[in-house]
Amino acid sequence: MALTRIQPPAIADVREPNFRNIIINGDMQVSQRGTSFASNGYTLDRFTMDESTDGAVTVTQDTDVPAGYGFASSLKVDCTTADGTIAAAQYCGFTQNIEGQNLQYLKYGTSSAQTLTLSFWVKSVKTGTYCVRFVKEAGSGTRYECPIEYTISSASTWEKKTITLTPTAGSTSLITAANGAIVNSNASGFRVFFALAVGSNFQATNNTWVAGSDKLGTSNQVNFLDSTSNNFWITGVQLEAGSVATDFEVETFGQNLQRCQRYYEKSYNYADPPATTGSGGSNGLQFGGATANIDATVLMSVRKRAAPTLTVYDLAGTSNKASYYTGSWSNGGSLGGSRAKETYVHVDTNISSSSIVAWQYTAAAEL
Amino acid sequence: MAIYSGGGVIIMITSVKKQYNSTNNEFDGYEMVKNGITSTVPLDPDNTDYQAIQEWAKIEGNNITDNGA
Repeated sequence: MALTRIQPPAIADVREPNFRNIIINGDMQVSQRGTSFASNGYTLDRFTMDESTDGAVTVTQDTDVPAGYGFASSLKVDCTTADGTIAAAQYCGFTQNIEGQNLQYLKYGTSSAQTLTLSFWVKSVKTGTYCVRFVKEAGSGTRYECPIEYTISSASTWEKKTITLTPTAGSTSLITAANGAIVNSNASGFRVFFALAVGSNFQATNNTWVAGSDKLGTSNQVNFLDSTSNNFWITGVQLEAGSVATDFEVETFGQNLQRCQRYYEKSYNYADPPATTGSGGSNGLQFGGATANIDATVLMSVRKRAAPTLTVYDLAGTSNKASYYTGSWSNGGSLGGSRAKETYVHVDTNISSSSIVAWQYTAAAEL
Repeated sequence: MAIYSGGGVIIMITSVKKQYNSTNNEFDGYEMVKNGITSTVPLDPDNTDYQAIQEWAKIEGNNITDNGA
């Protein structure tokens, strides 16, 4: 539920959801997996890094934020290995996918499709033209994409950017025709990709909807990876219906975390990333029984988008193992099986020598 | 092997094995090793790891191991 409504909706016929901001964790406050990520995949909650160049980047949750606007965290991308020339099939950027059933009020696929406005704060060592790529996922129809340029004018200075995405961008009618509909399910229906480098295979015309796939930006996109001095920060990401960028929608940390947990949850303390080690059974879910090979079921905090991928860790941080007690704690105990549904996690241990076991888990139902 | 999923994620799957329920011996998921971490993937078409496994298995040289129940 929104805490405060700052301004009225930009368009009277927009049926606003409880959350005005379509982006989850736009203030970069929630990061359940840790605070530094050198590999592709999920980073801060709901944001994936996708780097495919000869360079390398590291994503961190950072405290550098625009002063005076109430933000506490940003997502920082640090170029750690440079790639001065982006080949045709190379690219780099980060993404948030959005569940289709949350977006039906946008009326995509009809002549009443809504304009969207994306606003965010950004700071970069490297100035120039950057792109945001919007994707209407295929669902049972066709995927449409629209890259839109924005400019970072001053090096290492926070700037607020606003981008308007119209359903007829480039004088097209792809989104307003039936195939422009967003899938009404728990699958990804829409995607926002912040480009950092785009090879020529992935370039398209600015601000124009196009059918097909992987149009990540335009030919004007700078190569953020051309120097290890390059850093990029972003926070306050908000995507909303209408043509006006309203003030960032403030949520409590608990609300934000709960929305993120529909896609990812862990049994660890919030501050402990997955595979954090714990001493004895004091830092894990502990189960005892009169017999060996203990089975246990745990109800998760939030129902997942779909049955999640389950990873079980022993207290030494080894996956697919459990810890067990036989006078003292040991690690590396075998699992007899594990599975997860939308609401619960079930783990069978296969440790005949112990009647107390302990383990941690992560459950991922990302888009 | 790196796979561009189309969903924006590079997926590094090294092996996949069928997992059987220890109670009723039914095939109920996959044991997947990705980025060196072993996880259980449900037989849910809405799960993106399940989708990635189907794509991974189409690539020549990749096989889902089946050791039976």
